[in-house]
Amino acid sequence: MDLDYLLVLLLGSVTAAATLLIATVGLAVVYGLMGVVNLAHGEFLMFGAYTTLTVTRMGVPFVLAILVGVIITSLFGAIVEVLLIKPMYGRLLDTMLATWGLSLVLVQAAVLQFGTVTPGVGLPQWSISIGDFEMSTYLLLMVPAAAVIVAAIYLLFTRTSYGVMARASIQDRQMASAVGIETSWINTITFALGAGLAGLAGGLLLPAVPATPDMGLLFVIKAFLIVVSAGPAALSGTAATGGILASTTSVTANIWGSALGDLMFFVATIAILRLFPLGISHKWRIRL
Amino acid sequence: MAILANKNPNSGSKFTWKIGSILLTLGLVLAACSSGQESSEAGSDTTGSKGSSEDNGNGEASGEPITIGSIFDLTGGLNIYGIQQDRALQLAVNNLNDNGGVLGRTVEVSTADAQSEDTKYTQFANTLIQRDEVVALFAGLTSSSREAIRPIIRENEIPYFYSSLYEGGACDKQTFVTGATASQQMSVLIEWAVKEYGNKIYLMAPDYNFGTISGHWVEFYAKEFDATVVGQDFIPLTVTDYQPVINKIQAADPDFVVAIPVGANQTGFLEQFSAAGLKEDIGIVSTNYGSGNQQIVVSPEAGDGIIASQEYFMVVDEPANKEFVDLWEDAYGLEEPIVSEAADVWNAVNLWAAAVELAGTTDNEAVIEALESGLTFSGPNGVVEMNPGSHHLTQNIYIVEGNDQQEFEVIETFEAAEPSYENGICDLVADPEITEHFTPGDL
Repeated sequence: MDLDYLLVLLLGSVTAAATLLIATVGLAVVYGLMGVVNLAHGEFLMFGAYTTLTVTRMGVPFVLAILVGVIITSLFGAIVEVLLIKPMYGRLLDTMLATWGLSLVLVQAAVLQFGTVTPGVGLPQWSISIGDFEMSTYLLLMVPAAAVIVAAIYLLFTRTSYGVMARASIQDRQMASAVGIETSWINTITFALGAGLAGLAGGLLLPAVPATPDMGLLFVIKAFLIVVSAGPAALSGTAATGGILASTTSVTANIWGSALGDLMFFVATIAILRLFPLGISHKWRIRL
Repeated sequence: MAILANKNPNSGSKFTWKIGSILLTLGLVLAACSSGQESSEAGSDTTGSKGSSEDNGNGEASGEPITIGSIFDLTGGLNIYGIQQDRALQLAVNNLNDNGGVLGRTVEVSTADAQSEDTKYTQFANTLIQRDEVVALFAGLTSSSREAIRPIIRENEIPYFYSSLYEGGACDKQTFVTGATASQQMSVLIEWAVKEYGNKIYLMAPDYNFGTISGHWVEFYAKEFDATVVGQDFIPLTVTDYQPVINKIQAADPDFVVAIPVGANQTGFLEQFSAAGLKEDIGIVSTNYGSGNQQIVVSPEAGDGIIASQEYFMVVDEPANKEFVDLWEDAYGLEEPIVSEAADVWNAVNLWAAAVELAGTTDNEAVIEALESGLTFSGPNGVVEMNPGSHHLTQNIYIVEGNDQQEFEVIETFEAAEPSYENGICDLVADPEITEHFTPGDL
């Protein structure tokens, strides 16, 4: 085992963590922050991926197409919130059933609309060499992308008046209403933001994870586990658990094999929840 | 009115007469009080009821249609294959009926949608056999769906056709397989790739029985053609990060990679493999790439140069294939290339029809005996031959290469490749009682 290999291992872990974080951060907002168990979250990601794909195929540059995907997925999220989630605030089981139903509808709608075989965007064929090893540059770019996304959300929720109102609406709805915050609309916006982040993930990861109707399933289970293990500090906790779980998986997969790597993800999740039953960030002083 | 007329064939003759006379009266009244359009409608109704009373009179032998059953995944994750399997079956049946049917009788299909769930296969197999009394069943894509159906088939003893490439080894009296098996595809693929690239192989396979059994065949044929497997990785279906595999492949430095993950796993891996720039030095071959039109999902850059081996590709140059593709285009268009499973179903229906013609009856035992008579058929993928003992097909295996237009080009044809593992281990003529799913450990 030489230095090159260790560096590749390290970069691989960081890339895996960044990719997983991008796919999870929307859920950190919707479930971690708002407490809405949206089982259709993975399908929002799929929605974003197909939207980006469709727009790209219309000739729009890829980066712009991702932006369009984010906007359309956010709008779609807002509609879902108003029609489906809003009437069910506080009814956990009903929300789960309704959003699960929505996920089934969206998967089948995608099959009907796009068929099961859709041409992909393709990863840009850029790579960098580290000794004898080559790595895809696009995937490495996910690291700064994840950092920017997490920082932007953090600033949005801590430094803007919307962020303060959003957290107030979630923490104490009645009190927030009493001081004049339109909690109902703020919640719609926050949910739409979470949906938009899922759409962003679908678009950003599209070159590496081709759009398929059931692609949401690939991410949603791991995303939920990460946010649950994160605990009360939804964003920083998610970043921490996402990093730990993804790098554990990546290193194990590198050394022993992918099947064991996948297994280690779940073993590590159990270990975290055993050590921190209320989430890893339970005793942190940071609140987001 | 149309509804009344449709009910006729199911009822007794007395009842038919009554309805017939009501219809006649109705027709007369309609004809009397309105224009010619309606009277012609009434006229067609009367001929309809006349036709059905003829059916009732003639009994089973000549007029009555033959009903076969089909269960494919028309919805859900597997319909990427199921829809084409179903289309191929309809096309084959229509083609038979246009050419005079089977034994002079028309063929009808009872169709069910398994929704990509194994439990639905069990349920619909029972329904089709008991309610619709189908004389043969065409069903299944995954090995688990086939295994769910087989016990029901054994109990009811009707011929069952399984049309998909699979890991091989299914063996019982009623089951007939028209797809290629792992050993059948792998033998020619490894032989070709060792000659082309060199003798160091890396295996990358899905983490369930198709992957592990195919992995066994890679090792087996590696030995036969003086090559070694320098590394392997089995990938769970939920993995989306292939950097670890790609690192391991680079560390092992193989001459070529056998990559047989399924669905999104495969396209995701190929994108990342290509983006890391590994294709220049390392060949990449697969037995299932293209079976679900993956060549369209991957980008042109990633798909360029990938080698696949299967029993059928839409581009193969066989006389019967042109006819098949034309029929398909007329019926469904060619937006989506035809996958190998569709050709497998087409062959299955035609082999069944040939067996029924040969037997002169739809009686189960006679049809199975006819299927065991060394039956051949000129299908879209050339001449196929049903092996009497193993119930698997001897058929061509094509080696193709993906180009940068998201299409395939045939580079070599291995004619009449035998399912040698199944032929060696499964002889249902000598021992009709075998009910097994052999795995290579049994060798």
